[in-house]
Amino acid sequence: MADFGFSLHPSSSIDLDNADKRLYKIVSELEPDIKKCIACGSCTASCSASNLTKVSFRQAILKLDRGLSEEAVMLLKGCMLCGKCTMTCPRGINTRNIINLILRYSDNKKIK
Amino acid sequence: MSGKSVLIIGGGAAGLESAAQLISLGYKPVIVEKEESLGGNIKNWDRLFPDGIEAKAVLDGLLKRSSFSDIYLNSNVIEVKNSNSNFTVTLSNNNVVKADSILITTGFDVFKAERKEEYGYGIYDHVITNVDLEKFFLSKHDERINSPKKIGFVHCVGSRDEKICNRNCSKVCCVTAVKQAIELKEMFPDSQAYCFYMDLRMFNRGFEDIYLEAQSQHGVRFIRGRVSEVSEDIDKKVVVKCEDTLSSKPMKIKLDLLVLMSGMLNNSSSTQLSPVLGVKLAEDGFYKCEETIPGGNKTNVNGVFIAGTATGPKTLPETINDARSAAIEIHNYLNSTING
Amino acid sequence: MKERIIFGYDAFVLPFTIGMIFIILYLGVGLVRIIAALSKEDRIKLVKSFVSPTLIKTIKDIIFDCLLHVKIFKKNLLLGYMHASIAFGWFMLIFIGHIEVMIYTPQRNGVLYYPVFFRYFVMETQETLRGAFFFFLMDFFLLMVLSGIGLAIYKRFKSRALGMRRTTRLSKRDTIALYALWAIFPLRLLAESFTADISGGSFLTKSINHLFHNFVNNSDHILPVWWAYSSALGIFLFALPFSRYMHIPTEMLLIVLRNAGIKSDNTREGFAETEIYSCSSCGICIDACPMTTQKKNLNNTTVYFLRFLRRRNKRKPIVPADKCLMCGKCVEMCPVGIDSCRLKQFKRSDVSENGAKADYTYLSSYSSNVKKGSKILYYSGCMTHLTPNIYNALFNVLDKANLEYEFLDKDGSICCGRPLMLSGRKEEAKGLIEKNSMLIKESGADILLVSCPICYKMFNEEYDLGKIKLLHHTQLIDSMIADKTLKINKSDKSFVFHDPCELGRGSNIYRQPRRVLTSQGRVVEANFNKKESICCGGSLGSLALSKPERDAITKHSIESLTYNKPDTIVTACPLCYKTFSQLSGTPVKDIAQVTAENLI
Repeated sequence: MADFGFSLHPSSSIDLDNADKRLYKIVSELEPDIKKCIACGSCTASCSASNLTKVSFRQAILKLDRGLSEEAVMLLKGCMLCGKCTMTCPRGINTRNIINLILRYSDNKKIK
Repeated sequence: MSGKSVLIIGGGAAGLESAAQLISLGYKPVIVEKEESLGGNIKNWDRLFPDGIEAKAVLDGLLKRSSFSDIYLNSNVIEVKNSNSNFTVTLSNNNVVKADSILITTGFDVFKAERKEEYGYGIYDHVITNVDLEKFFLSKHDERINSPKKIGFVHCVGSRDEKICNRNCSKVCCVTAVKQAIELKEMFPDSQAYCFYMDLRMFNRGFEDIYLEAQSQHGVRFIRGRVSEVSEDIDKKVVVKCEDTLSSKPMKIKLDLLVLMSGMLNNSSSTQLSPVLGVKLAEDGFYKCEETIPGGNKTNVNGVFIAGTATGPKTLPETINDARSAAIEIHNYLNSTING
Repeated sequence: MKERIIFGYDAFVLPFTIGMIFIILYLGVGLVRIIAALSKEDRIKLVKSFVSPTLIKTIKDIIFDCLLHVKIFKKNLLLGYMHASIAFGWFMLIFIGHIEVMIYTPQRNGVLYYPVFFRYFVMETQETLRGAFFFFLMDFFLLMVLSGIGLAIYKRFKSRALGMRRTTRLSKRDTIALYALWAIFPLRLLAESFTADISGGSFLTKSINHLFHNFVNNSDHILPVWWAYSSALGIFLFALPFSRYMHIPTEMLLIVLRNAGIKSDNTREGFAETEIYSCSSCGICIDACPMTTQKKNLNNTTVYFLRFLRRRNKRKPIVPADKCLMCGKCVEMCPVGIDSCRLKQFKRSDVSENGAKADYTYLSSYSSNVKKGSKILYYSGCMTHLTPNIYNALFNVLDKANLEYEFLDKDGSICCGRPLMLSGRKEEAKGLIEKNSMLIKESGADILLVSCPICYKMFNEEYDLGKIKLLHHTQLIDSMIADKTLKINKSDKSFVFHDPCELGRGSNIYRQPRRVLTSQGRVVEANFNKKESICCGGSLGSLALSKPERDAITKHSIESLTYNKPDTIVTACPLCYKTFSQLSGTPVKDIAQVTAENLI
């Protein structure tokens, strides 16, 4: 790829071609429904933790898809795994399992 | 006047329009209606989008043009005997009707908002549905509506929801919500309206203009976030929780009135009627069209046709067009059986 | 009776004897390893249990569970007889065989193989009543074992006749041991029949001896049969440690350790190892598991999970561990009482070891604004916020009884921590437990009232609430009806009560909800109720089950509930309530709603 002599600060924009999607790949192989999200926000709205701190499932899987895996993990560390998000999701996504998988495989090493 | 007869099951907009067309084509149709008056769902509506025509005017026109039909009210179809597409139909009051073709125009059911318990319909004092609101516009009276200062509209209630087992979009609720927000604002000029949406489906000509009008002239606020829970505070105000996805923050707001946009589900009569007629239902409970593009009025049974919202959510003009197309299909079918 | 063979030895005893020595060594080493893997506290508990009344309970348990298989009789009479006849019959054969040696050939006491091959080495000198009695007993117990083996063979073809819809798929090692075991007793019968005219016998062995008189009389035919018998025993003994039959010795150790109060603390060593080897692959857990309404989930049942653990496979146990609903039915139905749900939680914990950990330090700044000093503190829990009908009805009931209460998590709950714990994150759950305990104790209430069984079980088992009394709303409503604080209208409507996994099997509360409903109408029971109640499918115990899989379980549970055609399905759990409401044709109500409707 040619270098045009200027570069954008990495965190200000998303370079979809070079996004690090390793964690997304691991999680989406185990839970393909992660692709179904329409970003309605019911999960974050019903979240027990989002009242109290920055936790957002919707935003986390968005960041995961855009290759911002560490930010995604940070958005889920306060999750209590209470399951309300799974109950409200209109697409029937198994959100709780996806959160657990993201935390579990955050080192990008899937168990063989 | 040909000697052939048509039985129309369902006396709503589609049933009445197709009856009117069949009458002008020389038939005397029979209409069977389960309620005690004709008109179906449009009896409950005040003014229609996009131009604000009164539903009553449309209904009166339909009733006048279809009045030549034989009408059975408070009647259901119990049994159908089909011998080579000659139908003998037994109704619930023991009447028996013979028909050469049948048209299904049973329409839709509104989603029962109590099923979405977390929205508090029937539990909290100031939660109503879009149907309740239209009735309020007609009657000007509903004890749940008390000079509201802040009004909320929840889109997609009972639609696009795996938990209700209905993945379909009900098509018309978005534009209805915007229409109703404008109408409420006109009724209560000091109020503020909020629409909580997942997507805004302004699909037809003129709808984007309504959206524009709502934003600029009436100050309606559009919040992109699906409401997850509704509760009530000490003053009986409705407390709504959603995520403001565009700013990525959970949001909470107190309202004086919450309107749930209940969607269009398949009519509950289809589970009983489908085996009686032998007509197939699709997985979502609406009737299955044999061909969707060249004209969705035929069913898998020869001589049985279908029109209107019985095959899925439609606007009123679409329903009326569909009913006219069904009338022509039936006319062609009946003529071909005379010749062939 | 006197010895026929000088020196009391023949080469044919070798397969059995070597097998026996092998087993004794193997078990000895295994025992040492397991005890070494226990923690220091557990070893102390073990020693203490030998000098306390638990010893008597342990001996009773060993007799009732290992020999008589009483638990299996409760599931199905024929199945119970099959297991009991083989276990008890074989035990009696060994036991009486040793007595025979002690009485007739005491010079051979302590010879390992002698009691087993007694009928070969002796010859009957005179017919006595005592002799006839022993012969009768031996033949009787041999017949008992053979009838059990016969049933076992039949079960392989038609398991439904023994009350089991599905049986375990056997591994190759299990199959070798199985055929060896099946061969032992017919071969014993044959061998003893061959020598019945020499050494004596009873109704079984003597009859066969007479029948095949000509064949049997040729003394060249005797030894090969005894060789076959000994070899079958030998093969079985060598295969035993690598097969399901290891449960025979291990179950006894399990009972001893369990009665000492020891529990597993990892997935493979110490007590966990004892549990894993005690699994007889009987397959009762397969029918018990709610997931098996779908054939594809058969591989995710407990029996296969334990098999994977036994083989030290790191990857394979993850899927069954993640899918498990933690409903506890397999633990309840297991004849050996293996706490497999606990092992699955440890597995989940192991897999999450290297990943990110949850962090609840943000809770420290949160404080509640409930009024202090109210008698009852109500904690709705996370799920109940999505089912406001439940707490609204409960508040109506409490208001009618003029009880004062405060709603702790009105603006949103700090989760009790049980879903987190079930996901294998018990350490992380401590952050939630600490904060909630503080909030609850600060409120100054006497009673903590919950309407969710998941929260109830968590508060009951993992929280230390001091003097505060924990009540589930069914318990409170039951006591208020009993002491007439609430006046209830009785109608002729019929109810069926769904026993939530965490309230029924989980906390042993079965009678109170039924008493509440009996005072309001007619109670009918589900097809599978109480301890055998089928999970609603909504359980937060499962991580990986998809919505369609859960729906299949829900429908199956609804089928069982509506078996006796009730007017209403009554639940006592917000998750069951929400899950059933989505798919049930019959109306679903929480017990608080029903009570509120029937208040006078």
